[in-house]
Amino acid sequence: MLEERLLSIDDLGYTCDDIYHSMGYKDTVPEDGILALIDEIHGAIRQCCRPRYVCQILDARQISKQEIEIGGEKFMPGGIICSYLEGMTEACLFVATAGEEYNGYLAELKSQGDIVRDYIADSIGSVIADSCAAAVGKELGKSSQLFHTLPYSPGYCGWNIAEQRRLFSFFPDAPCGVRLSESCLMTPEKSVSGFYGLGAELVPQPYRCEICNNKKCYKRKR
Amino acid sequence: MENLENLKKYIVTGKLPEATAIVNEAVAQGIGAQEIINDYLIKGMEEIGQRFEDGKAFVPNLLLSARAMKGCLEILKPLLKDSTAISLGTLVIGTVKGDLHDIGKNLVASMLEGCGFEVVNLGVDISAQQFVEAAKEHNAQIVCLSALLTTTMTYMKEVIDALQEAGLRDKVKVIIGGAPVTEEFAQSIGADGYSSNANGAVILAKNVLKAC
Repeated sequence: MLEERLLSIDDLGYTCDDIYHSMGYKDTVPEDGILALIDEIHGAIRQCCRPRYVCQILDARQISKQEIEIGGEKFMPGGIICSYLEGMTEACLFVATAGEEYNGYLAELKSQGDIVRDYIADSIGSVIADSCAAAVGKELGKSSQLFHTLPYSPGYCGWNIAEQRRLFSFFPDAPCGVRLSESCLMTPEKSVSGFYGLGAELVPQPYRCEICNNKKCYKRKR
Repeated sequence: MENLENLKKYIVTGKLPEATAIVNEAVAQGIGAQEIINDYLIKGMEEIGQRFEDGKAFVPNLLLSARAMKGCLEILKPLLKDSTAISLGTLVIGTVKGDLHDIGKNLVASMLEGCGFEVVNLGVDISAQQFVEAAKEHNAQIVCLSALLTTTMTYMKEVIDALQEAGLRDKVKVIIGGAPVTEEFAQSIGADGYSSNANGAVILAKNVLKAC
């Protein structure tokens, strides 16, 4: 059954440090002038942004070291992801997004040609989209008796991005307003799709970046 | 008049209104535009670039400096006898076909522009033919290609091939960047250089032009 949720920024539970980290500040805090800009832009985003997700839980199983089946459809996430799916009996497919409202705000900023503000808003949008995908996992933690994996997405950890189309086929057209381009990229850009594996026998896993061999991934937590 | 040395400081700290104010004052005092650019603005950009390389400055600092530099150049360019004299060269930049990511590419474009290049920013999802046409139209010396995904970075080779077929490859240098791209990948597709960050892209662009 499809479940759709509209969230507020406060529901997402991310911190200022998450934003700073997304902007490239690892163990330090931006200086006052940049902090003021972050506050201003985050305040504007807070006013307009309506993050949301849609998800559904389906029967799932691992077919081989490379392949899984979700809802009767075969997916090929590859060896890295499959190595953490032993014991999966169900999967929660999801599409999560910072939403059209955020996109509209970003487009307006871009039209003003201020790259500093663009960069800050873009970084905050990434945090919102990731936190929205994490909210699906938090909900699973509350509502399901099963253990769940971390979220896995086409395009990461060796999973071909083209399988995004198959994943989207489980949802109505443009779930939460998210559309796929010819090259399987999502619009609004600040969106995350993927699945959480569920099972009574699943074992806890390290973070995705610790299992992926793509050292150049732009999402990599260094 | 405020000490002109402060202009360099305003560029380093990215203070646009203060920088443009001091430039206006300097111009009113009869100080030459070329002197202001060479002795203060470029030196300020070099310093913030070095701080970034040393891990003492971050991307927003680079962008603030580039914005301040650009504001000052807008005042000074019309005052130069030959406005092309301050241009380090003309670049065409874009994210390759199939890829819609633009923030990294825009950072690079802003830094290049702030450091004195003429930048033609084509946007995202740009075909090989569009790169070729833009390089011809603007008589570009450098074509900069960006991609964020492993699935789209392979298109960079198609752009280089198209430049070759159009007879432009000897006239333009191709530099590439983006999260999945590496030096090895750049060499494998016949690009002239690769940078992992915006400041490095400026250094690279200067270097490939010197090598012409």
